This record gives sequence, structure tokens and C-alpha cells, in this order.
Amino acid sequence: MRKTYVLAALITGLAGLERNALANGWNMPVGVTEVSRHVHGLHMTIFWICVVIGAVVFSVMFYSLFRYRRSKGAQAANFHEHTTVEIFWTAIPLLILVAMAIPATATLRHMYDASEADLEVMVTGHQWRWHYDYVGEDVGYFSNLTTPREQIDGTQAKDANYLLEVDQPLVLPVDRKVRLLMTSSDVIHSWWVPDLAVKKDAIPGFVNEAWTRIDEPGIYRGQCAELCGKDHGFMPVVVHAMAQDEFDAWLAERKQEAAAAASGVDRNWTLPELMERGEQVYGSICASCHQPEGQGLPPTFPALVGNQALLEDLEGHIDTVVNGVAGTPMPAFSGTLNAVDIAAVITFERNAWGNDTGDIIQPSTIQAQLSP
Amino acid sequence: MWGVVKSVLAAFFGVQKERQRQHDFSEGKPVAFIMTGIVLAVALVIAILLVATLASR
Repeated sequence: MRKTYVLAALITGLAGLERNALANGWNMPVGVTEVSRHVHGLHMTIFWICVVIGAVVFSVMFYSLFRYRRSKGAQAANFHEHTTVEIFWTAIPLLILVAMAIPATATLRHMYDASEADLEVMVTGHQWRWHYDYVGEDVGYFSNLTTPREQIDGTQAKDANYLLEVDQPLVLPVDRKVRLLMTSSDVIHSWWVPDLAVKKDAIPGFVNEAWTRIDEPGIYRGQCAELCGKDHGFMPVVVHAMAQDEFDAWLAERKQEAAAAASGVDRNWTLPELMERGEQVYGSICASCHQPEGQGLPPTFPALVGNQALLEDLEGHIDTVVNGVAGTPMPAFSGTLNAVDIAAVITFERNAWGNDTGDIIQPSTIQAQLSP
Repeated sequence: MWGVVKSVLAAFFGVQKERQRQHDFSEGKPVAFIMTGIVLAVALVIAILLVATLASR
């Protein structure tokens, strides 16, 4: 009777510990998708199997150490092999492993089935930001870190979402199956959001797929999970899940913005207009390598300020931004920035920080180079 | 022949009687064990494939 009470108290205590660990963020999150709940359930099942095995093995070991100690005159049994015991200690782990593999495989098969999706998003990893492209919708954008430099340098207090906040999150509708196509433009990245139980490598030259169906509207945060270079810790993933009608309104607005940007290609832009736009693009895209004041980080990331070779060669400058430079970290922006952004950022680089060339690059010039 | 199959299966499982091990190493040809091992390994792969195919239907 007393033993039953002790056992009940032990189990209640352990269950309380588990809830406490979850509330403190020490445990894997339950998440907001059917798959994430399955994954959490598996994780806890296997965890408790390990706890029971550990308890049994260590109890037997410590009991034997204590009960058969030499000071009590214990004599070591001296035998070479014991077939029955060996069969038991081989068969029991085998059965435990098979018992764990069955639900784990069922969950994996469910996770890998990305068919019949309602929406497709192409996720491309770049050093060091994510790019999202809504397949068939003409909507695509970069998602850049917005944590202020002062918080990173420690001169300002860090806020709750330190290094987990971006300018434009990935927006998804709830209760819809979303297929995520993952790839990379440079090195291997990994797109990871714990609350969705999605963690997939983004590999250059390959397209991996994953899917999610989010139950609750909200903001879910994650990080790049594959060491990808100097700003690996500075390219978070933020997913904003909203109701279908809100999502539709958002998508329509983004389409209008894209159309407006496309129409801006044909007109003539003034220097102040291009400088303003270019400064924004430079700050979010270029500054992480070429630095906020254009001083670069030689020899890997060349300086732009006072770079005579660059300033004397306008064609080369345009070619570098549009097509990238093979064999260096400089990516091609022809697929990810529009003609207005490219024209603006080149104009900005040629006129900012004392680079007073006076060059004005019109979006139409860039558009001519982008068109196949 | 049955003795060889039993010894190979015991090796798959990883447990063998000491008496049987002594016997296998003193009598019989290695070629018989190697060939039986290859055939049974192929059979194991086919069996696992079958189970996986059935389970995933």
C-alpha cells in the first residue's frame, strides 16, 4: 500500500517537472501544427522510455554495488559466457527499438507527404537573409534582420525578440496546406521553425520540400540551423500566420506593390529619388558585407567608398550587381531584386560617402540587361 | 547444412554458444559460411523490403 503511494507521488512529481520544463522553454515546444504535436508526442514517449531504462539499469547497478560489496565478503561469480542471458539482452533492446521505430516512421511518412498543397512558397537561403517567392503569384521579397546594431554591440538593452525579428516575415494562411520548396543561392542553409516542426536544409542546386498546416494565427520564430558563414546567427525566420481572408488581402496588396514597382521602370527617376530608394536597399541587402559606410571588410568584401576601379567602370559595376562575381561571395541580384532597386542601389553606391560621380542609372537601363 | 544456417543466423543475431563456435572453427569450410551469409543477407533485405512495402500500402 505504502509503495503504491510512493509510486503515485513519483509519477505526479515527474509529470509536474515535465510541464514546468515546457513552460520554461527547456523542452521541445508542442507547436501549432498536427505534425508538431506528433513530433512532440514522439519526443516525450522516447524520453520516458529512456527514463525507465535508465532507472532500471542504474537501480540494478547501484543495488548490486551496495549489496555485493567486498567488505561483506562477496565473491565474484566466475563464468565466461551465458547464452540465455545474452539472448535476453540482445532481444529486449531490439524489441524496444522496433516499438519506437513504428510510430516514428508513421510520423516521418506523414511529414514527407507534401502532395495536394493549397499554396506553394519557394524559400531561398542567401548569405545572410531568406527570400520568399509565392509560386505563380509574382510576389517575392527578402526577409532581413531588423535588430538594431546597438543591441548586437551591447550598448542598448536587448528586447524580447533579439535576433528573431525581420522587416518582412513569411506570411501564410492558417488551416491551409502550404508546400515549402527550399533551395539556396550560395551555401547550405537550413530553414527551421520549432513551432511548425519544420527544419529542412536549403542546398544550392537542389530543391528540398517540406510542408506545414498552421492551426492558430500568430507569429512563429526560428533561425537558420546550418552554419553558413559570418552572419549565420543574423538571418532569422519569422512566420506570420493569419486567417485566409486577411492573407488574401495581404497578397493582393503585395501584388499591387509589385505592379507599381514594375511600372516605375519606364519613367525617368531623379537623383534624390534613386538615392533615397538606394539607401534603403543598400542598408538591407549590401551593408552586411560592404558595411554601412561602404568601407567593406577587405580582402573578402571590397570597399566601395573611394574604389577607383569601380567608380571608373560603370558597366562593370552594373554587371557585378546584376550577374554577381563567380568564385566570390558576391551573388547575382538579377533574380531577386527588381530593376528599380538595382538601379537605385548602384546610383546610391556611386554617389554616397563622397563617391560623387554624379552618375544616374535609370531603371530602364537595368531592365534592358535583365530581360533575357 | 542446417548447422551452417543456424550458425549464420546466430551471427546475424550476435549470440553464439561457445561449444558451437569451437565446432564451427574446427570443422567445415569457410566458403560454406560465406556463401550462406551472402544468401541470407539478400533474403533479409528482401524480407525488410516486403514488410516495408506492405506496411506503407
